[in-house]
Amino acid sequence: MMKTSLKSATRTGMIFGLVFIFLTLIGFIVVGANMFGGLFVKSAENQNSVRVDAVNLLVFISLFGLLSGVVFQKRQPDAKWMHVVLGGLFTGLVIGLIAGGAVFLIGILHVKGIDLRNYLPNLGPDTIKFALFHSTPLSAAQTYLIFFIIFSLAGALLIKVISLGDGLKSVFDQVKARAAEQVDSQQLRDLMKNKFFLVGVGLLVAVLLYFLPLMWGSYWNYIMGTVAIYILLGLGLNIIVGYSGQLVLGYVAFFATGAYTFALLTAPYPHAIGLNPWLAALLSVVVSVLTGLLIGLPILNLRGDYLAIVTLGFGEIVRILVRSDLMTPFTNGPNGITNVGQPSWLGDVFSDVNYMHFLMLIVLLGLFVAKRLKDSRTGRAWIAIREDQTVAQATGVNTFQYKILALLIGAAFAGLSGALFASRNQFIGPEDFTLMVSINVLCIVIVGGMGSLPGVVAGAFVLKGLPELLRELSDYRLLAFGALLVVMMIVRPNGLLPDRTTWFSRPVPGKDQKNYDEVNQ
Amino acid sequence: MKEPVIQAVNVSKHFGGLTAINHVDLTIQEGSISSIIGPNGAGKTTLFNCVSGFYIPDDGEICFYGQMIMGLPTHKICKKGIARTYQNIRLFKEMTALENILVGQHPCLNSKWVESILHNRRFVNEEKQAVLHAQELLSFVGLPGLENTPALNLPYGAQRRLEIARALASRPTLLLLDEPTAGMNTQETAEMTAFIKNLRDSREITILLIEHDMRVVMDISDQVTVLDNGKKIAEGKPEDIQSDQRVIEAYLGPGYQKITN
Repeated sequence: MMKTSLKSATRTGMIFGLVFIFLTLIGFIVVGANMFGGLFVKSAENQNSVRVDAVNLLVFISLFGLLSGVVFQKRQPDAKWMHVVLGGLFTGLVIGLIAGGAVFLIGILHVKGIDLRNYLPNLGPDTIKFALFHSTPLSAAQTYLIFFIIFSLAGALLIKVISLGDGLKSVFDQVKARAAEQVDSQQLRDLMKNKFFLVGVGLLVAVLLYFLPLMWGSYWNYIMGTVAIYILLGLGLNIIVGYSGQLVLGYVAFFATGAYTFALLTAPYPHAIGLNPWLAALLSVVVSVLTGLLIGLPILNLRGDYLAIVTLGFGEIVRILVRSDLMTPFTNGPNGITNVGQPSWLGDVFSDVNYMHFLMLIVLLGLFVAKRLKDSRTGRAWIAIREDQTVAQATGVNTFQYKILALLIGAAFAGLSGALFASRNQFIGPEDFTLMVSINVLCIVIVGGMGSLPGVVAGAFVLKGLPELLRELSDYRLLAFGALLVVMMIVRPNGLLPDRTTWFSRPVPGKDQKNYDEVNQ
Repeated sequence: MKEPVIQAVNVSKHFGGLTAINHVDLTIQEGSISSIIGPNGAGKTTLFNCVSGFYIPDDGEICFYGQMIMGLPTHKICKKGIARTYQNIRLFKEMTALENILVGQHPCLNSKWVESILHNRRFVNEEKQAVLHAQELLSFVGLPGLENTPALNLPYGAQRRLEIARALASRPTLLLLDEPTAGMNTQETAEMTAFIKNLRDSREITILLIEHDMRVVMDISDQVTVLDNGKKIAEGKPEDIQSDQRVIEAYLGPGYQKITN
């Protein structure tokens, strides 16, 4: 018992220690300390900046130590008090030695006058001074050691105190069970069936959706507009990948086709056709669908990886073709197209608020269509193809026809989003349609949960909206974003909001269990 | 005499140098239960796959009620009225039991994707009927009340039954069962045997099955076909097969008499 306790403590300590070193080396501790420190300590203008820095860093270290203690203790919730105390102390000791040692080393190198920026661009003198509390390496290392030990112990004890009684795990289980009970209860189900309730909620959401764009300002309208366009793209790809299970990586081809069709038909240059934007949007969808047909007919008999690679090529072909010398007279090549037409209503061009409302409407319509397609003979055929194509065909599904249908409907969604994208941005160029768009949309579908409509919406918000929220972190935005994605996929491997069929992958106790047992007898 | 349900003449199938079935004839009469038996690797499942369209035979022809079905894609063969189950259960795992059966009804339904968006009256009525029929089938195979359980959570026996229900959903005239009692205990096997008999009697379906359990084969078959090394070595009533010298040799090896003597 004692041995496992120490082992676990060492492991936790080492992991946290290495993470801390990593954060130090990339210079994140300055940002992190100021962010977390700012939460607790009000920084006054007249205060000594050295002192503020030190306090912020101490807060950061303390929180880090607390977290390590918590993690250590959660690994063995039943440990005795003695082991908790020793383990907590030991965890702190390991982190303190590792982190303090690293800081000491960095400090010594710094004192000797070696410019570490040559090797680690973020490790400037200011950062190093900050990490050293503006004092000598030795005293800084001692501070690290002491604080880590104290707060790891505190973290471990904290969890032990909380988990007294039934233990933390059972408390969690109880909360979960109670929540499940409530969700499953008759009352809630009746409520969901109550038309007045649904209409009420609907109205509330509608009012909210109406007023939000008015209050946000144009910056957030722009961000949310992007999110809306990506929701639409996600809905389309969700039909192809999530429903029918065809891994298509060149989805951007349809998006680009839609956008370019719309732009070429409405922009004054290079063609000056000046078509009505509404008509142009319709044509964009048609052209995208035709592209889908062109791409899909020869290749949809491929399966799995092969399909992915072939479609990957198609996505790039469209972009390269658009910017090629051959097509430049027709598409204006790498310069892109400016002054793309905007939709208007009764003679007035849409303002950004109007445009946001319009996008919301289209997204709701898209959700409606995707939902209805899913709960039908067509949707079931798609999902059957995803689950087992051979058997689906032997069960009477014309798999080729249904796969093409999924691709075409997906392409239609992409064509419409392309038209919306072009008319909202007023400018498009070939670089708007790189492989990254395909990958982003695929991520939306996967992070949200394959085949799940709420998942697509959540995925689009997380992947397209969250990076904006994280703008506060400036340089570390993508790092934090990547870390968040990794954590998300570990915590919820089936996606943020998985499809209902995976929701109930275990029989619901009390509901299905009875029948289940009867059959088992 | 009525036209046979399946008339396979001179069917052969090769995989590279391996001859899986070699000039096999098979005739199945309407309303009968026929079994194909034989040692492992005899070509039973290959013959099955030829009939259900998974493989296209290299030689010979297969007719279903006098119509040539050889070379048709599997979904067209299914639409003509042949449904099958699989040796290793192949349900749509993430779909619920009800949805599995609804997919099975696919060839019998007509609604198009546009109708499913518009929810016109025909679509709504058809869906309602389909769900009712699916529930009926679930009860028929003995799984009432499990509509919303995902297929992968069902116990093994129930999965076998659900697979049969899915096959029945396309309203077939010929049902192909590939080892329906594989992995079942004595009691479950007895239940399945009774179920298959009941199926033929109550639904007027012709049944062709592959089976290893001789008690089942001898109990329910009207006709038994024995394959060995891709060739048909015997055919006839269960009693005749049991005493057939070639069949005994195929199962026990040619030297068995020396040992027993």
